[in-house]
Amino acid sequence: MEMQPGVQAATESPDSGGGEGRPPQVAGAQEARPEDRLTLLLRLRAQTKQQLLEYKSMLDASEEKTPEQIMQDKQIEAKIEDLENEIEEVKTAFEIKRLALHRMQLSAALKKNLEKINPQTSVLMDNMKHILKLNKLIMKSQQESWDLEEKLLDVRKKRLQLKQASESKLLEIQTEKNKQKDDLAIMENSDKIKTVQQNLQTEIQVTTVIQHVFQNLILGSKANWAEDSAFKEIVLQLEKNLTMIK
Amino acid sequence: MSVLRPLDKQPGLNTATILLVGTEDALLQQLADSMLKEDCASELRVHLARSLPLPSSVDRPRIDLIVFVVNLHSKYSLRNVEESLRHVDATFFLGKAAFLATGAGRESHCSVHRNTVVKLAHTYRSPLFFCDLEMEGFRATMAQRLVRMLQICAGHVPGVSALNLLSLLRSSETLAPEDL
Repeated sequence: MEMQPGVQAATESPDSGGGEGRPPQVAGAQEARPEDRLTLLLRLRAQTKQQLLEYKSMLDASEEKTPEQIMQDKQIEAKIEDLENEIEEVKTAFEIKRLALHRMQLSAALKKNLEKINPQTSVLMDNMKHILKLNKLIMKSQQESWDLEEKLLDVRKKRLQLKQASESKLLEIQTEKNKQKDDLAIMENSDKIKTVQQNLQTEIQVTTVIQHVFQNLILGSKANWAEDSAFKEIVLQLEKNLTMIK
Repeated sequence: MSVLRPLDKQPGLNTATILLVGTEDALLQQLADSMLKEDCASELRVHLARSLPLPSSVDRPRIDLIVFVVNLHSKYSLRNVEESLRHVDATFFLGKAAFLATGAGRESHCSVHRNTVVKLAHTYRSPLFFCDLEMEGFRATMAQRLVRMLQICAGHVPGVSALNLLSLLRSSETLAPEDL
């Protein structure tokens, strides 16, 4: 259902009152109208050009074959994104080229301008000299900051090297300690030591038995061993517990 | 015809036509009036429609821009717009269609969630505008924007095409759901 009161002609800007069939809005002088007509014509020309471009591009686009088979949603989305990325890339490339073109045009115009006027006295030369000075300053400070960064980098490298060296040293120390501990443990567990220890044990036991035998002999003989000092010493020595020596 | 196509007719000289589709007649009329008040070098024509398809008996000029107006206060307007979307050719969505959501100011009256409209616009890859059409100031601003967009879509601005504008209008908000 469409409502017809929609067709309403809008106000035109007052300078395009020169169109045919419309009541002239401009109550001005006659010589104002040819220029307005010209502006209108130029505007219409630009419009028609743009519209023609649009139609042409639609034609070109429709010549491309679209895939007829039914694809999944994800695939379509991926395709759409690819196309959009393409568009963006083309646009940026175009903008860059336009920028380069503008720069070239600007420098050409500048060159022509400089050839025409006296190069010593113009404000342009002052500006350019100022620009050059600033550029030199920029380059110098950039160089300085680059040097400082280099120094910083060197210091960091040295620090890293020292750290690595200390790490390796500590590792060496640790391995040495571990080796010593292992050696000790091995030594303690070796067989020779065990046999020696066993021999020691048996000797101690034998000696203890001999001690007891002598003790009993002396006690059994009912001799008074406390009187004679040498005798006393021998008895006391027999009393020594040999297991404590170990 | 039952389906609207963007380039099937020849453009009128210095004329730009916009079609506003929505259920809120009063709001559409007000928006149309604001647009016509705008200062524009080309001749503007505003067509209002409650829903598509448009009756083919009427002789109308080539439509340059379609704006689907959704009122966030009523689910009926959303459904109406969804129904009308079927009668629009796919090539319209290359920059010549836009969505306008109104009534977002009064959160308590909103029965359609904001995200629904956002997803709808995202599916159709068209720009989405939020504007409270009841407020005079916002309406005037929106009318200005629409007039500029209409000029570009009608080809009256040299160097910018509707598709160009579409990729320019793609904001970071529309990209976020694609990442997820």
